[in-house]
Amino acid sequence: MADPQSVDFYRFSRNLSDEERSVRDTVRRFVEQSFMLDIRRHFADGTFPVEIIPELGAMGLLGPSIHGPGCAGLSATIYGLICQELEWGDSGLRSFASVQGSLVMWPIATYGSDEQKNTWLPELAAGRKIGCFGLTEADHGSDPGGMETRAVRDGDGWVLNGSKLWITNANMSDVAVVWARCDEGVVGFLVERGVDGFSTNTIHGKYSLRASDTGELVFDEVRLPESSRLPDARGLKAPLACLNQARYGIAWGVVGAAIDCYETALRYAQERKQFDKPIAGFQLVQQKLVTMLTEIVKAQGLCQQLGRLKDDGINEVPMVSLAKRNNVAMALDCARTARDILGAAGITDEFSPGRHMANLESVKTYEGTHDIHTLIVGAEITGLPAYR
Amino acid sequence: MKIAVCVTQVPDSETRINLAAPASELDQSGFTRVLNPYDAFAVEEAVQIKERLGADCEITAITIGGDKVLETIKKDCLAVGCDKAIRVNDDAMIGADSMQVAKVLAAIIKRDGYDLVLAGKQTIDGDSGQVGPMLAEYLDCGHASVVTKLELADGTFTATREIEGGAEIVTGTLPAVITCQKGLNEPRLPSLPNIMKAGMKPQETVTCADLGIDVPPAHTTITTYTPPAPRAACRIVENEDPAAAAKELARLLRDEAKVI
Ligand SMILES: Cc1cc2nc3c(=O)[nH]c(=O)nc-3n(C[C@H](O)[C@H](O)[C@H](O)COP(=O)(O)OP(=O)(O)OC[C@H]3O[C@@H](n4cnc5c(N)ncnc54)[C@H](O)[C@@H]3O)c2cc1C
Repeated sequence: MADPQSVDFYRFSRNLSDEERSVRDTVRRFVEQSFMLDIRRHFADGTFPVEIIPELGAMGLLGPSIHGPGCAGLSATIYGLICQELEWGDSGLRSFASVQGSLVMWPIATYGSDEQKNTWLPELAAGRKIGCFGLTEADHGSDPGGMETRAVRDGDGWVLNGSKLWITNANMSDVAVVWARCDEGVVGFLVERGVDGFSTNTIHGKYSLRASDTGELVFDEVRLPESSRLPDARGLKAPLACLNQARYGIAWGVVGAAIDCYETALRYAQERKQFDKPIAGFQLVQQKLVTMLTEIVKAQGLCQQLGRLKDDGINEVPMVSLAKRNNVAMALDCARTARDILGAAGITDEFSPGRHMANLESVKTYEGTHDIHTLIVGAEITGLPAYR
Repeated sequence: MKIAVCVTQVPDSETRINLAAPASELDQSGFTRVLNPYDAFAVEEAVQIKERLGADCEITAITIGGDKVLETIKKDCLAVGCDKAIRVNDDAMIGADSMQVAKVLAAIIKRDGYDLVLAGKQTIDGDSGQVGPMLAEYLDCGHASVVTKLELADGTFTATREIEGGAEIVTGTLPAVITCQKGLNEPRLPSLPNIMKAGMKPQETVTCADLGIDVPPAHTTITTYTPPAPRAACRIVENEDPAAAAKELARLLRDEAKVI
């Protein structure tokens, strides 16, 4: 029953309240007790441990910073710490929570009608219902503005046609937040499982994020009442604002994965002997460990400041982009370095860095690729958008 | 029903103790302190009893310690379901022995009156296992230690105790002191909303003087901590024939190690 202490070389914990530290430590213990024992099997089988979902809900880990019925309305810093500890376990677990909280509950809380909020938020927060978020399409990833999914007015309601690809939680979800183009621009809908013409498919053969459900949403003449539209979501900026929430959590989350890689590599290097001494005693290995630690410390500083700013109402897209871009690349580098330090042992699932390394390739791509975030920050500082 | 849960903080079991040579004190500066693991069973049991009885039940966590204990009280007691906490903060109690601890806990329990007192079966640092039974003596009530199952009915308790090679079932009347063993229950983790609310629950801090007692005198003093003797090199029984090797091993275990 060790008290979980994350790598904290610069004593960032001192800046946290008792409650924030308690949340961090409790989530770490929860992940150790309820998730880690089975992660290797789920990663090998390509499955998500669905039985953990109600537990996540009971603990209050789904949409913890959302304000709305059944939601806790806690701080952005607490949400960040939760993401960090979940992703210390696996990016698939954090992805589940990110989608449910930032990409499903947040748009319902922000753009939904009272009826939508009352119907869905308590159920989603408790983990009794599962949501997914459909923006990306097969031919429109980095440029979602080109989406081809169409919503056409039909009497009092709408008809939806098209499909969405690479959708996290697609096959497990009870409700999908779906973005489509209509004559007036981009609109959002809540599409429930079971509606005529709506189906989902699984994407097989993933190398990455294997302990996560990734799939396709297909809409074939799906008739939806006006009450299923998110009334306050207007234009492409509505789904992009959801992504800004989720990216914030990713910036924190990947630090957890990096910490696990660093700690695993450090422990291994201290025990593994070659040339009659622990490999941690060689200068080259120390340089790798020190570089990992330095990058983790810098990313922790970014997260903490980003969290405090968000709690003060400052949540600018380029700032979140910079943190997502830096921290994911940092975590991926840590995973690769840790894998290297572990030698051959690093290529098996007995150790976590290989799994984190594979996962983080997805994290680098989704929610805006590394390069797209370069362009967002680039446009901000030069005033010259370079997307097209 | 009023339940008191006596809890304390101990060094995390993964703490590395730096002790090169015998010393009268341990360097505790690098210690991470956590709730004594057996106390977690006591807290959980109290919360489960409250869940069965409903609102007509109040749980008070009682501890002795400096400010560092507060985070544990909030996180592992109040956030998990205790209703309030009382802490004795008295410099004279730093490093107190079992009897001093039991006397001070007894003073609080007598002052407030409780129907049931729960505690861990022992701490994982001092390892004496004496505080619970001593407390029962000072309170002049019954007790059951090392309990793995507890049932309450009409002012009585039935406790299953773990004993060498079996179980013993003890009944008695309340109030009573019960010390808790692994297996009694599965301690829960606190939910986020409960962690956030824990700080708002009532917490009282008192000194021995506030309780109207003198600081009890120590009966034992720790004089020396010594590091464990370095382990002797292991011996490998070398024999090509497995049957002969097994025979030789059995002989060594019986005649030299004297363990079988
Ligand atoms: C595991 C997983 C889960 C996902 N979950 C979801 C989900 O739940 N919901 C959802 O809507 N989407 C989801 N996605 C989709 C994800 O958001 C997209 O993959 C991402 O936006 C990138 O789109 P793309 O894959 O089509 O790549 P592309 O946009 O085709 O990009 C390919 C490459 O081209 C580069 N590139 C593109 N445009 C430019 C440019 N202007 N300048 C320079 N370089 C450029 C990119 O940086 C990248 O390197 C998920 C993806 C994965 C892998």
